[in-house]
Amino acid sequence: MSDYRIEELMVCRIASEVDDSGVTVLGSFTPLAYAAYMLAKLTHAQDAYLVGFNAIGMPAVELNLTGVEAAIYSGALAYWSFGPTTQTVHLGKRGLVECVSPAQIDGSGAFNLACIGDYNNPKVRMPGGAGSPEVMQHYERILVYFGRHDKRTLVDKVDFRTGQRYPLEASARLERGLLAGAIRVITPLAVLVKDDDAKPFRIETLNPGVDVTEVIENTGFELEVPTNIGTTAEPTPEQIKLLRDRIDPYATIKFDFLDAQSRKDMLRDLLQGEWDRALATSRENVGA
Amino acid sequence: MNKVIALEELSSFVAPGDSLGIGGAWMASHPMAAVRQLMRDGIGDLHVIGSLSSIDVDQLIGAGLVRELTFSMVSLEAYGLAPHFRKAVQDGTLIINEISGVAINVGLDAGARNLPYLPMRDIGASQLPEVTPDAFAEITCPFTGERLLAIRAIVPDVAIIHVLRADAAGNCQVEGPMACDPELARAAGRVVVTCEEIVETEVIARNPATTHIPGFLVDAVIEAPFGAHPTTHIPRYGFDAWAVMEYADACADGLADTHIAQLASESEAAYRERVLSADKRAVLTTIARNPKTLETQGT
Repeated sequence: MSDYRIEELMVCRIASEVDDSGVTVLGSFTPLAYAAYMLAKLTHAQDAYLVGFNAIGMPAVELNLTGVEAAIYSGALAYWSFGPTTQTVHLGKRGLVECVSPAQIDGSGAFNLACIGDYNNPKVRMPGGAGSPEVMQHYERILVYFGRHDKRTLVDKVDFRTGQRYPLEASARLERGLLAGAIRVITPLAVLVKDDDAKPFRIETLNPGVDVTEVIENTGFELEVPTNIGTTAEPTPEQIKLLRDRIDPYATIKFDFLDAQSRKDMLRDLLQGEWDRALATSRENVGA
Repeated sequence: MNKVIALEELSSFVAPGDSLGIGGAWMASHPMAAVRQLMRDGIGDLHVIGSLSSIDVDQLIGAGLVRELTFSMVSLEAYGLAPHFRKAVQDGTLIINEISGVAINVGLDAGARNLPYLPMRDIGASQLPEVTPDAFAEITCPFTGERLLAIRAIVPDVAIIHVLRADAAGNCQVEGPMACDPELARAAGRVVVTCEEIVETEVIARNPATTHIPGFLVDAVIEAPFGAHPTTHIPRYGFDAWAVMEYADACADGLADTHIAQLASESEAAYRERVLSADKRAVLTTIARNPKTLETQGT
């Protein structure tokens, strides 16, 4: 066992779903997922096809706030637009893994990226789901992650169904021409899995040191609790080293785990560092 | 054919009340110089159609120019909820047509093919077809009997798109993120492109594989350096997150009107002069030119 932070354990759990049997697409700003895909690409899934911003076959990149697109494009194997990418990957059954990090999820697997309150008269209007309704329905492995596990996020019923993978049973999906595969929810406490509309989410593994009661008490929907529940795998020293030294040296993956003010402070600090480094590099280049 | 116009002539191609497709996605390659020009000219009552929108759409809403919005997302990503979009929807002052992101591409594709709709497979138990019934319809495949989702064609009156380079005839090259800009250009009734630089046609012909929007689709070409700023235009410049954070902060501090009024009152040259200091230009170009990729071998 190595010394690790909870977000690093979650990154490693997500990374374990990525392999070279399909295409993994970087969605909207989800630093934890980005780190996981890079980790997979640097370890067990070197041949995995990654897509970022329609750069097809992108290389692994260092995570930061301002330079990721340039890095993604600098080593990619093809430049497409959304038309061919979404027709081929999203709708064409090549989508392997994508992570979604919505505001709410409920026991049916429905998730909400639209609003808190009534859709037509919302208390808080959120950004909207981008391509997540299609991703959720059409990809093989759906991972929903949260920086916190509580009843405000894992709710009894979402305020709006931006998307919901339906049906979930493998046979019904195959009959409809869809890829089969479960939904997994990955949180600081546990991994939950659902592959049957008639059954609740099941606790698949508990994160190290977490008691099953804590998971049940902090979940707003019914859970199936098997008699024997395994423990989520801990990161290896090699994974931790890659994450901290190469993939995410500025710890952008903490973002999802912070409150609004801490996020702002973190962004300011990260941006100051990126400004200083870029300016120093530009002066070296001028001097050279 | 020479289609080159000045940015100040944009209003000859975008009229109040138009449906307006805006290119770019996430924080990449939005036609921000054109957006700023619409604010300067006060061209309002627009039905804006975005794909993955951000500060572009938020500023237009903030300037009071948007009547109706067709979208899948409007977000400042790490920098918070899009403040004007959020407020307008919460206050009920904006008509919204929320459509899933892939369906928008299918709708543009239908528009480009002169079809009333195109089918795709369903989007599960999403409520979007219920709240945006004009965009979605369930249909039965005439060949297999399968239940499919029809997506109504999206045909903007006019599209504004930012590209890397174009010639005077509107042949456009892109070497970075291009969102659904080619699909948008095919679907729209009129197309106005802004570009980092206007080049001779022979420059275009030297590397035709990067021409993603051919000139026959394009009605007007505008040279607008840093025309996607503060969003990115790879490989020229990276993301001006500092400027987007400043916008988010200004809105949070109740200074949104001042911020928008400033954008609307200054020329594009004055904007560049004010916002893009020598250091800022050096930082943004350095970010774009020094990609931090990770070797996968030997790890």
